[in-house]
This record gives sequence, C-alpha cells and structure tokens, in this order.
Amino acid sequence: MYGWIWRHLPGNAWLRALISVVLTLAVVYVLFQYIFPWAEPLLPFNDSTVNDK
Amino acid sequence: MSVRVIVRTVSELCITLGTLLVLFVVYVLFWTGVKADTAMAHQVALLQDQWAKQPVSPTSTPGSSAAPEPPTPYKDGKPFALMYIPRLGFTWNKPVLEGTKTATLKKGLGHYANTTQLGQKGNFAVAGHRRTYGDPFKDLPKLRPGDAVVLTDGADWFTYVIDKGPYRTLPADVQVIDPVPRKSGFTRAGRYLTLTTCDPEWGHSHRLIVWGHLESTQPVEAGKPEALRR
Repeated sequence: MYGWIWRHLPGNAWLRALISVVLTLAVVYVLFQYIFPWAEPLLPFNDSTVNDK
Repeated sequence: MSVRVIVRTVSELCITLGTLLVLFVVYVLFWTGVKADTAMAHQVALLQDQWAKQPVSPTSTPGSSAAPEPPTPYKDGKPFALMYIPRLGFTWNKPVLEGTKTATLKKGLGHYANTTQLGQKGNFAVAGHRRTYGDPFKDLPKLRPGDAVVLTDGADWFTYVIDKGPYRTLPADVQVIDPVPRKSGFTRAGRYLTLTTCDPEWGHSHRLIVWGHLESTQPVEAGKPEALRR
C-alpha cells in the first residue's frame, strides 16, 4: 500500500519524501478537524447530564 | 497476487489502524482540552464584554423588595454567568452556558434549560464534563458540605453552599434536578443548586450529583464575596 503510493509520487526521493510528509499532515488535519469530532460523541466520556433518554 | 503482497498489505493496514488509534487517544485526552480551554476563554471574554457594556445600575435599593421583575430568559447556547469553586482551585472558574446540548457542553458548563434561573426560587442545575473538554468537573467528588460555589451574572454575586454530595445515581434519575431534588435531604421549596457530572470518571453508567442552597447574594459593587477572598 505505502510502497504503491511511493512509486506513484512524482520526482526524486527528496521530493517524494516531502510530498509524503505533507500528505501525512493533511490526513492528520482532516482526522482532528472532522473525523474525530464526529466519532468522539459516540464514545461514553461525554454524558454528564441526567435525562429521560 | 503473491502471499508476500497480501502479508505486506495486511501488516500495513494493521500499523495504520494502530497509528489511527493512538492519534484518537491523543485527540480525546489532549486536544479536546486545548480546544475547550480556547472555547471557554472565548466565552468568558464574551461575558466580560457584555458586562462591560451594561450600565452599572443601582437598581434595587437594599430593603425595597417591591415587585422584582421576572428575569429575562437565557439565550440557548450563550454564556450568562461565571462559576467559581474555591475547593477545586483558587483560580478555578468556568463560564456557564444555557442548555445542555453536546455542542454547548464543549464550551463550558451547561445550565439545564428546564430548571430555574440563577438565585431564583427552585433548583438551578448545572452539568459539566468530568473528563475530556478541559475536565471541568474532574474533582467534583472532592466537594464537601460547607464548600462554597460562587456564581456571578455580572450584576450580582450568588454564594451557594454545598449541603450534600457526592451522590451517585443512574442517568435516567431526572428527579435529582427537581425544584426540591429527590434524595437531597431538602424538604421544602427553596433556592437550590445542583451540579451533575458523569461517573465513573471515564464512563457513563452513572451520574454524580452535588446539592447546595443559596447562602447569600450581593451586588458586584459590594466586591467579591467572602468565599473568594484570600
């Protein structure tokens, strides 16, 4: 999987490494900004109220 | 497809999944706290702006309790008060927002919309996270009878004193925030305070409840109440 991505990145090894770092940061950003905030309320740490549900 | 490719791909997926889980733990334990601190600081700033704008009105002269007008309802999701609990730390103070929606509780403590307003007759009930989002009520079980919980809405200071708690109950036990809360030991109508959070610390199977009553109020011009002086 990662080998496949690496082979399809353009440029020499340095450029590929740079693109890989940027891609990784982009994935982490999307996770922290969108995916985790969505997933987190599904976990049980969040209920601090009493309610009828 | 060779066995080598399959083994390699499966291993890579496992490593990816592991990294994902570690990142998620970092998010829950650390990043929600960073976000909540920013959000709460913003809410406090909103409140202070709002209070700076409102005129210092020498309204109700002491002694004349003639027809106090009904208080304006709080706006959903907006901050209206600051809470101080000296037992949780001298610098412990959090904004209190109207409503207990998930998004609201990320920005501060949440006032149960169906309960009474600050200082009014009935039960002023507030919920807060035990863990994650800045851990506002992490140390709620440390509260003991006699501890002060001080709130201000910009015009007055309200000093509540804890009477009972921590009391552990089930999530569906809504009677703990009734005007005269069940199990609180209060028997007559009064001006009460209820704080709720989850229990155990990282779980959601139970709720932890603390009750208090209104001890005193004073206008902000009179300075900080006794409990906040050092």
